[in-house]
Amino acid sequence: MASIHLQNIVKRYGGFVGVQNMSLEIADEEFLVLLGPSGCGKTTTMRMIAGLEVPTDGKIMIGGEVMNDVDARDRDVAMVFQGYALYPNMSIYENIRFPLRMRGVPASEHDARIRQAAEMVELGAYLDRKPAALSGGQRQRAALARAVVRQPQVFLMDEPLSNLDAKLRQSMRVQIKHMQRQLKVTTVYVTHDQIEAMTLADRIVIMNKGAIQQVGTPDEIYSDPANTFVAGFIGSPPMNLIEGTAQGGRFNAPGVSAPCPSNVQGKVTLGIRPEDCRIGGDNVQGLVYGVEPTGDTTYLTVLAGTKKIEVKAARDYRSDIDVSIGITFDPARLYFFGQDGERIRGVA
Amino acid sequence: MASARKSRGESLLLRYLVLGTWALVCLLPILWFLSIGFRPRTEVITPQPIFWPTFSLDAWHLLMSDWPIAMYLRNSVIAVAGSVVIDLILAIPAAYALARYDFKGREDIGFYILSTRMMAPAIVAVPIFFLFKTLGLLDSVWALMLIYAAINLSLVTWIIRSYMLDIPKELEDAARTDGASDLRILWEIIIPACLPGIITAAVIAAIFAINEFLFTLLIASTANAYTMSVALANFTGGSDGIIYNAIALVSFIAFVPILILVILIQKHLSRGLTMGAVKG
Repeated sequence: MASIHLQNIVKRYGGFVGVQNMSLEIADEEFLVLLGPSGCGKTTTMRMIAGLEVPTDGKIMIGGEVMNDVDARDRDVAMVFQGYALYPNMSIYENIRFPLRMRGVPASEHDARIRQAAEMVELGAYLDRKPAALSGGQRQRAALARAVVRQPQVFLMDEPLSNLDAKLRQSMRVQIKHMQRQLKVTTVYVTHDQIEAMTLADRIVIMNKGAIQQVGTPDEIYSDPANTFVAGFIGSPPMNLIEGTAQGGRFNAPGVSAPCPSNVQGKVTLGIRPEDCRIGGDNVQGLVYGVEPTGDTTYLTVLAGTKKIEVKAARDYRSDIDVSIGITFDPARLYFFGQDGERIRGVA
Repeated sequence: MASARKSRGESLLLRYLVLGTWALVCLLPILWFLSIGFRPRTEVITPQPIFWPTFSLDAWHLLMSDWPIAMYLRNSVIAVAGSVVIDLILAIPAAYALARYDFKGREDIGFYILSTRMMAPAIVAVPIFFLFKTLGLLDSVWALMLIYAAINLSLVTWIIRSYMLDIPKELEDAARTDGASDLRILWEIIIPACLPGIITAAVIAAIFAINEFLFTLLIASTANAYTMSVALANFTGGSDGIIYNAIALVSFIAFVPILILVILIQKHLSRGLTMGAVKG
């Protein structure tokens, strides 16, 4: 088991900067999720930890040792790939055995360890099959077993669930988390799916354009976003971001008026989550644009000026469109961001 | 219901009729050769068609008594098999390097290798002759082996390379993080994954090699190095004239090893050829 330190990591491809000056500490046994849109550098970061990419600059340390010049095969790191990357010519048994053979684990131990790993992912009955004869979920479990069997210092998982359907993804998520807790192996998990990030992570690192936007627990990321990118990326539907003007303790935008702290001045962006809005009141004066019942809740879209504001309403809320409506914001849950997108903190 | 069954039966009959006709068209030249090979020489050259030819082992006896046909066949098999083995040993690592390693001039080197195939063989015929003369390898099966290998190496490299390009990079990344070295990855992951391509390339190289005529004629001067392709020419001239039934029989004997090879690896070959077809 090991901690991971990234120190001022830079990765450039010619003129393109994939990762810029990234520093991160990952604690031993931690489950860390790298979250961001595609092309944000999260996979590149993971591949640098694995040793599959060489950083242009900076230092990578695993378990206190500098790893920059250590080949991927000599780092005690197991990786699970998005496309499973099972060896098509080998049975599942041989697939799981491959890392043991490569690392010179005594042959007498192989069988017991392979079966134990296969049992852990409930794949014991499929060991003699070829990968092509398995379903997507079974292949993903086989890939997990191949990573687990080595008992590595670090797990790296690169969007392992993105090729599975929603139902399977949910059950695999639970399985991965359970396994990580059981094995207590430091895990870095890359995803663009915020639900995966929120449910799995001890801490989330949100990345955009090669740079870290925020690092924090899922709760911190959700309830204390550092900038508009994080605020708009996390939550489904995401936080409403309304551009307007603040003056004298009042925020105004077309159809929107809300109290704001006195240190918030000039052109700012107000953020409010859909679940912190209530129907009735006068923070927003607008028209009903659409109503979307989803069963357990109903999403209401209100048009204020030209801005559409999402509101989470009661499950039985129904309305025609183009009806006048007022919305109240929970004053304790208002976020303000400056013109640079950064959060304005200070006296409430 | 009854009519539906009838029409299905009819369509099945029609299908077999069409396929059977097509099979006959494909097999006809082979059957034709066989029938010529086992006819007396006079019957072969008669201008009128003969519908029920006389069976005769004349050509067979001629081959067995006057010509060391077994030696020719042996030479062909050794030279062709050896050349394919050499090609694979050289082409697989070369193709892997061209497909995966990032080095300066990679595309140029790849194209240069292919361009050796674009040259007309006659251009190098004389230099090759003198080269092998100097090496003391004239009239030797080993010389043929080397020449066949050299002729086909570029093509084999390119076919295998195109298959290797199709193997997901993730597989190699996975093997590397699993602790495998480059050679291990090539041997345990890459080669099995592109086996259909390797087999396709090997069969194509074998067919080209067994049909090679120009260089074989140049290098071989006695039964020491005569192969089936050159032996055929022995029956086209000389005091006996053109011995058609012997030619037919030799052609058939030359065709049998390839037929056996293709039947043995048919499954891989058809997969390999179609994969190549889809890629274009």
